[in-house]
Amino acid sequence: MTEPNPVPADGEWHGVAPSYLWVDLAGQALTLVVSAGATVIAPLASGVAWLWALPAAFVVIFGTSMLLTPRRVRAIGYRLREDDLVFRRGIMWHRQVAVPYGRMQLVDLTQGPIARMLGLAELRFVTAAAATAVTIPGLPRDEAATLRDRLVALAESRRAGL
Amino acid sequence: MNAVEPGAPGEPVRADGPGRPDDGWRRLHPATPLLRGGVVLVAIAVWAAVQLRDVWVTILLGDVLGEVGRVPEDPAARWVFSNVGLALLIVLVVIIGILVIGWLSWRLHSYRVTADVVEEREGIIWRKHRRARLDRIQGVNVERPLLARIFGAARVEVSVAGENANIRLYALGSATANALREELLAAASSARAARATEGGTDPGDSVDAGRPGVISQRLQELTSPELDSRLSTPDSLVRMDLGRLLGSTALSLALPILMGAAVIVVPVLLTGQWGVVFLVVPGVIGFGAYAIRRVTRSLRYTIAGTEHGIRVGFGLLSTTNETLPAGRIHAIEVTQPLLWRPFGWWSVRINRASRSTRDGAAGQAATTILPVGDSDDVVRVIELIVPGLDLRGALGGAGAVGLDPRAPEYVTSPPRARVFRWWSWRRNGYHLTDEAVLLRKGSVWRTLTIVPFARVQSVALSSGPIARATRLRRVSVHTVMGPIVPSLGAIDVVDAEHLAREAESRTLVAMVSQR
Repeated sequence: MTEPNPVPADGEWHGVAPSYLWVDLAGQALTLVVSAGATVIAPLASGVAWLWALPAAFVVIFGTSMLLTPRRVRAIGYRLREDDLVFRRGIMWHRQVAVPYGRMQLVDLTQGPIARMLGLAELRFVTAAAATAVTIPGLPRDEAATLRDRLVALAESRRAGL
Repeated sequence: MNAVEPGAPGEPVRADGPGRPDDGWRRLHPATPLLRGGVVLVAIAVWAAVQLRDVWVTILLGDVLGEVGRVPEDPAARWVFSNVGLALLIVLVVIIGILVIGWLSWRLHSYRVTADVVEEREGIIWRKHRRARLDRIQGVNVERPLLARIFGAARVEVSVAGENANIRLYALGSATANALREELLAAASSARAARATEGGTDPGDSVDAGRPGVISQRLQELTSPELDSRLSTPDSLVRMDLGRLLGSTALSLALPILMGAAVIVVPVLLTGQWGVVFLVVPGVIGFGAYAIRRVTRSLRYTIAGTEHGIRVGFGLLSTTNETLPAGRIHAIEVTQPLLWRPFGWWSVRINRASRSTRDGAAGQAATTILPVGDSDDVVRVIELIVPGLDLRGALGGAGAVGLDPRAPEYVTSPPRARVFRWWSWRRNGYHLTDEAVLLRKGSVWRTLTIVPFARVQSVALSSGPIARATRLRRVSVHTVMGPIVPSLGAIDVVDAEHLAREAESRTLVAMVSQR
């Protein structure tokens, strides 16, 4: 494997791969199909017209959400600073978290089925605090692996006691 | 060096483990099976006596009642009655079996302390071998339930970071428990080197010097809140007086009792059915039991700084004594229930990395470090927990705790934050020191949260749609899981970004000095 070093600690914001959009959309579409499908049984079986309101509401909510998804995916970003990693996501509900490298207890690399088809992976950072909850989705597989190895090495060299 | 070598500190107290091999493994107190299983044995005996009382009555009083040979109605009793020899044999086998299992489990349950780890192994069929690194010890808890106190025994729980990761040793002799605690704490607070140069000055040495009679020793142990009264205990920072304890308990129960009374009285008045009143009996018993437990557990509360950390002790009949090495406390919260305000009372809770199965002061979770105290007590306790944090100097003592809502040192919410904090926007604010961040919140239920930067895991800045429209932000400081979730909402965007940035950089500074 070549060493392109795709993730320099330059303090710049890095976005996630644009193809992550499809992973996110597929997840929402699946939720929509399951929830709308479950609520569609009642009006079909009973013939009561107003019962269609529930599946219709699901379609409207998820439809709006899916229309906004491209913007939301573009808003996800991370930044490697000298001593910590900063992660941000969300437009309406914005959240930005700074995790010192020395506080990372472990770094998880996971791939869902659709993400694997697109060659993407996500990195999850675990600190001693459950509230940290930082997961960077939609990283190209190689970039994710390189980033993980770098961060694990950084965490190891800067580890502070619990 | 550790204490397993002959002549090393703590050596005399290992008389508890006869036939101990030389690899440092030590056994528990010989009365352990009795203390652990005693309650169960008594319960079985009582159950058997009740179940077969006809048989006993007939056997013991048959002559008097003139009912010799009468066969009882109960089929089980009838079987016992017709097979007395076999029944006695079964009872004998069961008792022997229990004794053998108890003896085996005692034989196979041992622990040792080496230079790096404390180890425990136990179990007859499923063996368990647990190791805990000494530098990961979060605290050592010495507890003495009433039954164990009578036998001069104690329960030692070594708290280790993580869920259900603690090492529990029950029971140890009092002196052994004491020596073990000193040994572990010395290691945990990295005072090992210092102690090695001191040589034989360990308190454990004094244990069998001029050994007093067993009876007087037991009496002495029973009357002393510390395990070994000859250890010089520093004076407690807080005096727990009975009036305050009773008053605070009554006031913290007043609100639920009033609400419960309202729920009961209204239907009674409406329907005239007085029978409903009996529904409250279980509730009254519950509240009463809680109040009594809280008072008896807090009665002899002490908190003091020792060379190995903060020592918190409490309990009248069953005593508990926990030592937290320095820097093992991840967050502190000072709160004031509404009805305590006229009296100026506060209570202090903490977040810590380990979960203890034991209750803390006042029968609350082990996270309550001060059940009730006035603002001076609170300031003293906080300054003990976060060394270097000068609450009195920087913030005028009580002002930091919140008696003065307009203490100028705090950066508070802007007036437009009334959308989110109608009552408390003037109080809602933060103060940064080099050691910790102080978050002051709440106007009705006042709280002050303190997070030492040395323990911060990560920092988050977040906002929802309304907060963004009003240029307000929330800053969360993430610590290990516990009752406290340090977070401050409805802060002006500039102040919030400053707070987040400072918290991040001061955490990094604190981490560097920790290594």
